[in-house]
Amino acid sequence: MTDTSVADTDRLSGNKDMIVCEGVNKWFGDFQALKGVTATIKEQEVVVVLGPSGSGKSTWIRCINRLEAHQGGTIIVDGVELSNDLRNIEKIRSEVGMVFQQFNLFPHLTVRDNVTLAPIWVRKRPRAEAEQLAMDLLERVGIPEQADKYPGQLSGGQQQRVAIARSLAMEPRVMLFDEPTSALDPEMIKEVLDVMKDLARGGMTMMVVTHEMGFAREVADRIIFMESGEIVESGTPEHFFTNPTEERTKLFLSQIL
Amino acid sequence: MTDHITIDQTPALPPEKPRLTAGSWVRQNLFSSVRSGILTVIFGVFSFFAFKVLVNTMFENPDRDWLAVKTNLRLYAAFAYPITQFVRVWVALGLVLALLGLSLGIWRSASAVAARTIASRLIASGLTVLAGTLLVGPPVLRDEAGEPVYDETFEALRGTWRSGLEQRTGWFLLAFALVAAGVALWFGLGSRRNTLTVPTTLVVWIASGVVIGSTWVVRYGHYGLDPEGVPVGDPDSLVAMSTRMPWTVMWLLVAVAYQLGRFVSRWNSSRLLITAAWFLAPFIAFWVILRDPAIDYGHVWSTDLPMFLGFGVLGGLLLFLLADPKIGELGRFIAFLLVVVAALTFVSGFYGWFSMLQKARISFCLLALFALMANNFAGDRQTRLRFAGAWVLLIGIAHYFITLMNSPSTLELRADSFLGGFLFTMFAALFGLMFSFPLGVLLALARTSTLPIFRLLATWFIEFVRGVPFITVLFFFDIMLPLFLPAGMEAPDMAATVLGLVLFSSAYLAENVRGGLQSVRRGQYEAADAIGLTGAQRTSLIVLPQALRVSIPPLVGQAITTYKETSLFAIIGVFDFLRVANYVVPNQSTPVNFIGHKLEGLIFVSFVYWLGSITMSKYSQNLESKMGVGER
Ligand SMILES: Nc1ncnc2c1ncn2[C@@H]1O[C@H](COP(=O)(O)OP(=O)(O)OP(=O)(O)O)[C@@H](O)[C@H]1O
Ligand SMILES: [Mg+2]
Repeated sequence: MTDTSVADTDRLSGNKDMIVCEGVNKWFGDFQALKGVTATIKEQEVVVVLGPSGSGKSTWIRCINRLEAHQGGTIIVDGVELSNDLRNIEKIRSEVGMVFQQFNLFPHLTVRDNVTLAPIWVRKRPRAEAEQLAMDLLERVGIPEQADKYPGQLSGGQQQRVAIARSLAMEPRVMLFDEPTSALDPEMIKEVLDVMKDLARGGMTMMVVTHEMGFAREVADRIIFMESGEIVESGTPEHFFTNPTEERTKLFLSQIL
Repeated sequence: MTDHITIDQTPALPPEKPRLTAGSWVRQNLFSSVRSGILTVIFGVFSFFAFKVLVNTMFENPDRDWLAVKTNLRLYAAFAYPITQFVRVWVALGLVLALLGLSLGIWRSASAVAARTIASRLIASGLTVLAGTLLVGPPVLRDEAGEPVYDETFEALRGTWRSGLEQRTGWFLLAFALVAAGVALWFGLGSRRNTLTVPTTLVVWIASGVVIGSTWVVRYGHYGLDPEGVPVGDPDSLVAMSTRMPWTVMWLLVAVAYQLGRFVSRWNSSRLLITAAWFLAPFIAFWVILRDPAIDYGHVWSTDLPMFLGFGVLGGLLLFLLADPKIGELGRFIAFLLVVVAALTFVSGFYGWFSMLQKARISFCLLALFALMANNFAGDRQTRLRFAGAWVLLIGIAHYFITLMNSPSTLELRADSFLGGFLFTMFAALFGLMFSFPLGVLLALARTSTLPIFRLLATWFIEFVRGVPFITVLFFFDIMLPLFLPAGMEAPDMAATVLGLVLFSSAYLAENVRGGLQSVRRGQYEAADAIGLTGAQRTSLIVLPQALRVSIPPLVGQAITTYKETSLFAIIGVFDFLRVANYVVPNQSTPVNFIGHKLEGLIFVSFVYWLGSITMSKYSQNLESKMGVGER
């Protein structure tokens, strides 16, 4: 494994470590989905995770907010180690936002209520304040006029933007995206990617699993390439797309580009 | 000049679905082939004779005496409730109906009936009444006492057909009115009858208004027993004022409550408040309105109030402190300590070492429960104050009702319970459903919980209850409960039956809810976790609301079953609605003699049960689609 670039851009030098993974292992029954994954993600860094299907990308980022429990190694998010201690898990989950491929909006709540849920119940904000925050966020993702609709009445792109607003409402320090545009029609992908680019420019720490190479090239500080549960190669987009060192990376790139 | 260009001003209507004429409908559906024609004829003839036998069994039959029902309506309504205090029954019913009206207004049902359907139903029922009136045999001749007159072969003597038809002008008028109303609606609306719909609530309200309103003009007759127990029977007068007036008031009350409900529905808290009111209402109706307790005010001042203040103030203070976000482990420790104290008060009471007042024991239990929940309400000052306030409110209500339950009733009763007849059935069903619903939800959650001990207990309970006949459960509680209840606590019948009903139907409800829980997708759990909700919040805010929505149809089905199952209470000797018909009236010999007249009562009772069930199921059909808003 070659790691040419742990935060080698000027922009990130001196920032503290946000996510530290150290030899993370994960088994599903007898099948080992993660094999000693080690990586450090700095504050404000945008990391894009690439890799063929089944390589463990989802499993890895789901371990970071404990939707899956890892079984070896350590994961430290913003200085808090993930263990079976419930309070640490709650703390980390309220610091880490996650956006899913299938949006997973709450269908029985209006868009507004979807967004205010976490501020009210997790952050214990007064309702009026939470609603103001929700409207600001919906404005930011470009759909304030949909606040009173139900998720089922929105297009896929709109739903995914609501999902992003819902995660942002917790004011997280890290955002995880698991293939946020894979379930969208082509004409809606851009509107979601634009919101994500905005976020990245605003200084959010982000880990993004995606197949959108344009986005990776333009926004990522670093690209991590995974295969069979291992990190194969990690580097700046420039290095990754023009001059990959590993054979497996070259093979992967030749298939998708 | 462009004059000759005509612009079609009529907006383009969607093409109407072609409707068949009556003749071609008959041809296509009834006589499409030789075989279907034969079947139609056979079953048509069969239905005709079945209908004829039915009306002749019910009416103009020497064995039938509808006075058995008409005279005893008060027994059917409330059985042995003292006549002089009957206004209390109306107030209790009024409370329930007012809540019903409010709820209908707040959760406006999307349910609607097509105008076309209303018109055709009106015509069909009018024609049915007409057919029945014509098919009933000639009138049975009766003597002064109302007994049929028999000839030497014990055949009842009958008048002529003609005299029968003359006597039945009322029925002919009814049939005519129904058909006329239907026809007027049909042609009055023209083609709009296919598109216009009327809300079901309005249809039910108007229909019941017509029935109730007619009691002010139509001479249905006045039957019953006066307060001295002397029978009254006057076929040519209006229905008694003591029936007519309250029903009219009830009918208006529902309308007023409905409008009020529509008005308050704009406030979010109205839903919460009305739900709370539903849970309080049966208690108020039962212990305050119907039971009319004699409260010992000396005891209230010396014991009850100080105790309430003690628990309210000290408990409130304690909970306020426990809800401090900074309290950490200490909070859990104090809550645990309270659970131990609560358990000890029960144990010591059981062995009689140091028997604390029942009220104190219950209060400690509640306090422990609140203390355990405290860290869910940790937050700013306002949240904590609200939490403590909720405690004071709850303990106040609990103490109030315990005081009421411990006070003797002032009623002079003729039976050992003051509830009976339909009143009993209604209260048993209400209480039963209200408590079995939350219990069923808890059981379903326990059965799907990740903690094996909960899963095991819930599974055993559910499978055991579902494997035992309901009557066994009833017998069990009938015998066991008196052994547990403190002496002097009245209404053991009610308690036993309702407890049995709650346990029984909660097991079935739990299975329905479990089905709903399984339909909630995994992504919903993950999303809830990912935004940092706690397990309890995830369940109550995300999972349950979706699960319950899915299980509405089976839940309403279960509610209807529960309502009908209250009739099994008759077996353990409760004078419920059915037992009045099946047992009380057929054994009446003085001051009125209806020995053996069972069928009339059974028909009447069936009709009332059916009316309740059909209303519930009709409403639920559209509740589902209404609640599903946004999921499409
Ligand atoms: N719950 C599970 N039980 C058993 N095996 C699982 C489970 N979840 C994932 N796996 C396996 O773990 C491996 C990694 O899965 P993962 O979903 O992380 O892949 P991925 O890189 O996200 O793929 P894709 O691009 O298709 O989403 C796969 O082989 C998958 O079959
Ligand atoms: Mg994946």
